[in-house]
Amino acid sequence: MAEMIIKNGVVYDPKNGIDGEKNEICIKDGKIVENVGAGAKIVDAEGCVVMAGGVDGHTHCAGKINTGRVMSPHDMRYAPIPGLSGEEPRTKLLRPQVGYNTPNTYAIGYRYSKLGYTSIAEAAITPMMARHMHEEFEEIPILDKLGLVLMGSNWQVMQYIQDKDPEKLKAYMAWVLLAARGYGVKIVNPGGGSSWTWGKNVSGLDDKVVDFDVTPADILIGLAEANEALNLPHSIHVHCNNLGMPGNISTTLDTMKLLEKVKTKRDRQVMHVTHVQFNAYTGTSWMDFASGAPDVADYINKHDHLTFDMGQLIFGPAMTMTADGPTEYRNARMFDAKWSNYDQELEDAGGVVPLNYTSQHFAHATMWSIGLELALLVKDPWKVMFTTDNPNGGAFVNYPEGQALLMSDKKRQEVIAGFPDMTMDRISLPNIDRELGWGEIATMTRAMSAKMLGLDDKGHLGVGADADVAIYDIQPDKVDPSVEHEKVKKALSFAKYTIKGGEIVVRDGEITATPKGKVYWVNAYENGIVQAEKDRLMTDLEERFAKYYSIQLSNYMVEDAYLPRPVEIRPEVA
Amino acid sequence: MQTVTLTPKRSPTISIEAELITPDAFAGKSAAEIGAIGAWEGNEEITLADIFDVAVDGSGDAAETKIVIDGDVPRVKRIGEAMTAGEIVVKGNVDMRCGARMSGGSITVEGDADSWVGREMTGGEILVKGNAAYYAGGGYRGETCGMRGGKLTIEGDVLDFLGEHMCGGEIVVKGNARLLPGVLNWSGTIVIEGDTTLPGGEMKSGTIFVKGKVLEMLPSYKDEGTEEVDGVTYRKYIGDLSRNGEGVLYVSV
Repeated sequence: MAEMIIKNGVVYDPKNGIDGEKNEICIKDGKIVENVGAGAKIVDAEGCVVMAGGVDGHTHCAGKINTGRVMSPHDMRYAPIPGLSGEEPRTKLLRPQVGYNTPNTYAIGYRYSKLGYTSIAEAAITPMMARHMHEEFEEIPILDKLGLVLMGSNWQVMQYIQDKDPEKLKAYMAWVLLAARGYGVKIVNPGGGSSWTWGKNVSGLDDKVVDFDVTPADILIGLAEANEALNLPHSIHVHCNNLGMPGNISTTLDTMKLLEKVKTKRDRQVMHVTHVQFNAYTGTSWMDFASGAPDVADYINKHDHLTFDMGQLIFGPAMTMTADGPTEYRNARMFDAKWSNYDQELEDAGGVVPLNYTSQHFAHATMWSIGLELALLVKDPWKVMFTTDNPNGGAFVNYPEGQALLMSDKKRQEVIAGFPDMTMDRISLPNIDRELGWGEIATMTRAMSAKMLGLDDKGHLGVGADADVAIYDIQPDKVDPSVEHEKVKKALSFAKYTIKGGEIVVRDGEITATPKGKVYWVNAYENGIVQAEKDRLMTDLEERFAKYYSIQLSNYMVEDAYLPRPVEIRPEVA
Repeated sequence: MQTVTLTPKRSPTISIEAELITPDAFAGKSAAEIGAIGAWEGNEEITLADIFDVAVDGSGDAAETKIVIDGDVPRVKRIGEAMTAGEIVVKGNVDMRCGARMSGGSITVEGDADSWVGREMTGGEILVKGNAAYYAGGGYRGETCGMRGGKLTIEGDVLDFLGEHMCGGEIVVKGNARLLPGVLNWSGTIVIEGDTTLPGGEMKSGTIFVKGKVLEMLPSYKDEGTEEVDGVTYRKYIGDLSRNGEGVLYVSV
């Protein structure tokens, strides 16, 4: 492959301690290298910010999003952001694009690339749905992808925890990742998804799950310890119980405290808590509901075993989709909205509900503030990932809006000025004047997310890293993000260049090439589990599949054909 | 005043998407300019001159522009889409979505209209002298709000789902309405002068008058006795209670 050199850009590479220096980036064979020859193609980044390609560590882009598409045919005509939403016809290079919250697969690839993102993580997939996820992955161009596998309401997981059989749990987790060709362990409303099969839920960490002698706390600890015993690259990825309910802050803090005792050999968190905005509410009802962000941020500032992402709200139409079935039932009833419900056999529940967030409703205005408060009150950007829980809090094409808000107190105050009075005593954002710099934005959108996921070759521009680079047309020494919100937003929305694996895929905000991305998955089964444990597990699974599943064990595994460009990661065995 | 006459040249079998047949798009343009306006016939891009002979008399802005389609256009969709002013007269039948999203002006269809006539209209008037098919005055697929304002009159019969997800405005059907008129609606008034079946399913609020017979009544409506409206005595019902609805359904006694 041809060589390339990026010259004259102002580089932000937090992992390598580079914070706004004029550096050259050399690329050869899809990797960052020390230097290149005289014939290398020159990319002139004069007057531009240069970062590693963005890494979205929590997005719903394959799987349940398809139900969102089915439920919202009208979404295809939403076009609030020209160039990143709505209908665009086929061109010689590009497939047709439609949609906003639930765009078609091609649009997902193109639009993330325009934002300078080059890797995304599908946040929640049941093993049974994994084949479908990989089919969608194959049709999402340009980006590298990975899928997190739902295990928090899985019957086998709960049975082995109840049996106090950590070896079997470990073997099963490794096997499920293999079966789904998945990357990491996702836990949604632990235990609640299983109870939802009977129309029930769990209300906190110490409730018993219907039909099992385990609690959400047992599930979290069991999975976290097995996750570390398997030495998986990513930690457990947790959506806490009681999401979206006033007063849920106590459950969230209890969950964070519970995981303090888990130890890891890796240089990363032991738990990633996701879309915390939805889990940081004080109060006892919607009447006295208020932001709990200061308390959550205070805890996170004092503890180093966890990371989190924001789940920032964006005003306008959104499409909520989660394995948290009971939450979606509540949403649908509360807003008289359309509702889709899942019960995926032994694996999890789920639901999809379209919502509309408005700045004129105090609850939505408060939620909007909580996301920003969390990101601004937590001091260390290496603990914060920027997300909107796409498309639960808002479509990913709004990331530049959220990121630019983090950089401008002035713009935030302008938005707050339009909120209903009922919002004001519920939030602390008006008193937070912190404005993030480019280095902190680079951390929250790529360096931290890659480290949090354990993707060593992503999220930075050091020698040996993948040559995924985003170049934004904005001069850090000339443009002051605290007053030029629109300029920042525009630069982040349409990258000057996006380079993926050493190939220019975006130039001046337009797609110029559509290579296929890779799919990362973790094989901890083959070397990580001894044969005796494998045999013991398979005997059990054969019986369980015959008894309970609608699918044969022999048809369950995702075949290699579904991953034409796999990257298999085998964790070191302790 | 500008009068544009479009005379159909042929009878296409594949539907034509012609959302630019509006006074807004035609205002102040010559016959050649109007003839050059694009449309889609299946997956082929065509011009209006490919399907119509165009004649223009006078000139004016949208409000002063009258379009006469002098013939039958049963495969031309989206006539008058999003128009804001002016007048369209079609001397025949039209295909789907005539007058969708219109906010002002008027459309007269002398023949029949296919489905979704007046979809999501917010203002203006549509008169269909023949029959209309499904979802007259309804919503876009997936949206929760259909017709929001204006007036839609159908002199003949309509098929199912009249005024589906209606959020405002007025619909008058002089003939019969088939299944579930006013389904899922939030507001607005529907008057059915003929007979209908299962009116107001999952209606949240809004008003439906049935001057003919209700052939089958939903069980989830509460009988509120009789009430006189404009000199006519109706039996009044409140529902749909299956959705805690407060809609009002008047049925002629």
